[in-house]
Amino acid sequence: MTNEALIGLIFLPLLGACATVLPGRFATYLGILSGLAPLPLLLVAVTLSVAQNGPGFLELGGWAAPLGIRLFVDPLAVLMLWMVAIIGGLAAIHAWCDFPPASPSGQRFWPLWLLLTSAMNALFLSADLFNLYVCLELITLTAIPLIALTGSKTAVRAAMRYLLLALLASLLYLLGVALLYNATGTLDLYLMRDALAAAPPAAVVATLALISLGLLLKGAVFPLHVWLPKAHASAPGPVSAVLSALVVKTAIYLLYRVWLWSVPATVAAEQALTLLAILGAGALLYGGVLALLQQRLKLVIAYSTVAQLGYLLLILPMASSGAWPVAWQGGTYQLLSHGLAKAAMFLAAANILHALGSDRLSDLQRLDQRQPLSLFALAVAGVSIMGLPPSGGFLAKWLLLDAAFRSGQWWLLAVLVAGSLLAAAYVFRILAASLRRDDPTEADPVADTKAIPNVQTACAVLLALLALAAGFAAAPMIEFIGPGAPGAWSRP
Amino acid sequence: MIGLAMDCVLALGIVFLAVQTVRSRSLFQAMLMFIVFGLLMSLSWARLHAPDLALAEAAIGAGITGALLLVTWRRLQAEGHDPVESEQSAPSMWLTLPTAGAASLLVVIIGWVALQLPAVPGTAGELAWQRLEEVGVSNPVTGVLLGFRAYDTLLEMAVLLAAWLGARAVATEFRPGALPGPAHAEVPLVGALLSLVVPISILVAVYLLQAGGSAPGGAFQGGAVLAAGGVLLCLTGRLEAAADTSGLERLGLILGLSVFSLVGLLVMAGGGPMLALPGAWAIYLVETALLVSIALTLVLLFAAAPGLRRAS
Repeated sequence: MTNEALIGLIFLPLLGACATVLPGRFATYLGILSGLAPLPLLLVAVTLSVAQNGPGFLELGGWAAPLGIRLFVDPLAVLMLWMVAIIGGLAAIHAWCDFPPASPSGQRFWPLWLLLTSAMNALFLSADLFNLYVCLELITLTAIPLIALTGSKTAVRAAMRYLLLALLASLLYLLGVALLYNATGTLDLYLMRDALAAAPPAAVVATLALISLGLLLKGAVFPLHVWLPKAHASAPGPVSAVLSALVVKTAIYLLYRVWLWSVPATVAAEQALTLLAILGAGALLYGGVLALLQQRLKLVIAYSTVAQLGYLLLILPMASSGAWPVAWQGGTYQLLSHGLAKAAMFLAAANILHALGSDRLSDLQRLDQRQPLSLFALAVAGVSIMGLPPSGGFLAKWLLLDAAFRSGQWWLLAVLVAGSLLAAAYVFRILAASLRRDDPTEADPVADTKAIPNVQTACAVLLALLALAAGFAAAPMIEFIGPGAPGAWSRP
Repeated sequence: MIGLAMDCVLALGIVFLAVQTVRSRSLFQAMLMFIVFGLLMSLSWARLHAPDLALAEAAIGAGITGALLLVTWRRLQAEGHDPVESEQSAPSMWLTLPTAGAASLLVVIIGWVALQLPAVPGTAGELAWQRLEEVGVSNPVTGVLLGFRAYDTLLEMAVLLAAWLGARAVATEFRPGALPGPAHAEVPLVGALLSLVVPISILVAVYLLQAGGSAPGGAFQGGAVLAAGGVLLCLTGRLEAAADTSGLERLGLILGLSVFSLVGLLVMAGGGPMLALPGAWAIYLVETALLVSIALTLVLLFAAAPGLRRAS
């Protein structure tokens, strides 16, 4: 049954997208529901199977690698698939109000949304570098129109900039993959380690540099993040949530797969991982400072994404140390908790923007009276972003600190603390702006606040509570994630 | 010797056209350079013994892309921006020189690395040659695209659908009615030409599809040729923009992706591996569906309209 469930995760949203293109209201509803609703159920089957039997491959068309394409499912892939199902699902419920399926805007929105869901599931499962290129392209080409959907000039400009840079990134990645195939004779992620060890060093360096550069650009890792803040901030709320929580992480996920699963563990590779971690440190500090300087709520949250992605790269230099299992748990927990918290913040920000007609920090005053639940979601998710107990973000950052301490990487320790302090500063800046009440003379701002559908508020609150709950329910999840990459990197 | 000379001319021509495309101040001139660049690329694929790529490059890289560029230019003109007259301001040297330097460096590094790569035994490509018979076609490219790596092709169809959905999502404003085209559409010879060229494009498309099993060809090349016939009908005013996508058009757009997926799923339901197409008939069935979707998507992208209808 697992194989059927894996196929379903990719093909149900894909066929759902086809159905939403067909004429008639019935086809649209059928496509959305059949494409999204069964995903959690399928995932339960996949999770149980991975927990019992361990990671597994599925050969498509019955052709064994390197001839054919394989799917690969392991705990990391399962975690990412759950994020797509939960965050994507709640964001979809939020989007249902803004883009009713039968309306013209819904007709434009839902096919793209379903294709994006399918493409992300396909990416997290694929074991083939060229197939991953197609998945990356599909993600980019569905995410960009979703950003530009509002048709506002800033959104279209941001989407265009994203498009051009993403195409450049795809090209670099593709060049790397072509070189890799010529150097190793295979495109399979999990067959290439031995072939790479035997290939000429110059080819290995060029290949990995091109692939990594492409992925860093797609993943908006500092200093290649220039496209992210405006694109994420000008997209419709549910789209921003999915972009920040899931889409940029697809590139980081691939970086993990390439560097931890497929590259031979050599000294040079360790140096490269340290370089990636330095970029991560830069992201953490630069993104944090820039988030502190923004005047609009959605831009603060977008720059916070730039910063929070840094944590995911900081674990890399610990791959060869004894602290790796802890670092890996911290990294994957950061993937999860940042995803939940960031999606909650973007949905809450969308509600606030809709209710107030503006998301400038100076316009947020008395938010506790005007949008109490959205502010609650923002604050609870902010707790996780800052890394305060008892949230999931706290646990992730605690594990990262622990790992840095154990492996003796003192500079990491300093960066981690500085990153959390910056996060605390920009989250408290939002909260301070929302609790201000300094204009008693002005007309009552509470009166001209628009009402928000309860469902939309509930989605944001639920995601924030999930980010908080991730701190309580950690033990089984950390046990499931396990020690991460296979043996080659971790030395006792 | 003649071959070497030809290769040198091709290589120099490609670099020259690429530089001219970027350097040209006039948008129209840059577009023409780019189209010729695509043709030379197609020739160089042929020189590299990759006839399938040469066909695809000529039909899509030079043909459809060129048509898309030119129709965009015409639309810009129709809306009052005159891209020929208003020459773009040259980008600053501080931007162009480092970009050119980085791009050249990239080419040198890739070339240098590729030249010193030893031949690797047992590559996926060699395996594909050895086991081609098992797929049921004798053209290795079709064997890879619909046999060994059918899943890639399926997702590429999703990319094509996403391209159309994206274009439709962004283009909120359009005017139903005649598409911008040449002013001489009503010259009597145009009708005679169309009655010849459009049936030929259908014939060639079907031929390419059928030949794809054993010779260069296939759904992508055939789809591009069929789309060329559609583009001609748009250009001569025989087809015009409709306000909405008709049910038939919607069906055609998703036909390739859904037939491909459903055939794959049916095989799995029957106990086989997912996407293992059972024999040549299934490959032709899927390819026919792909051809329809590819051609329709390309024509709709060219028309930049939600749908098309027969001109009144």
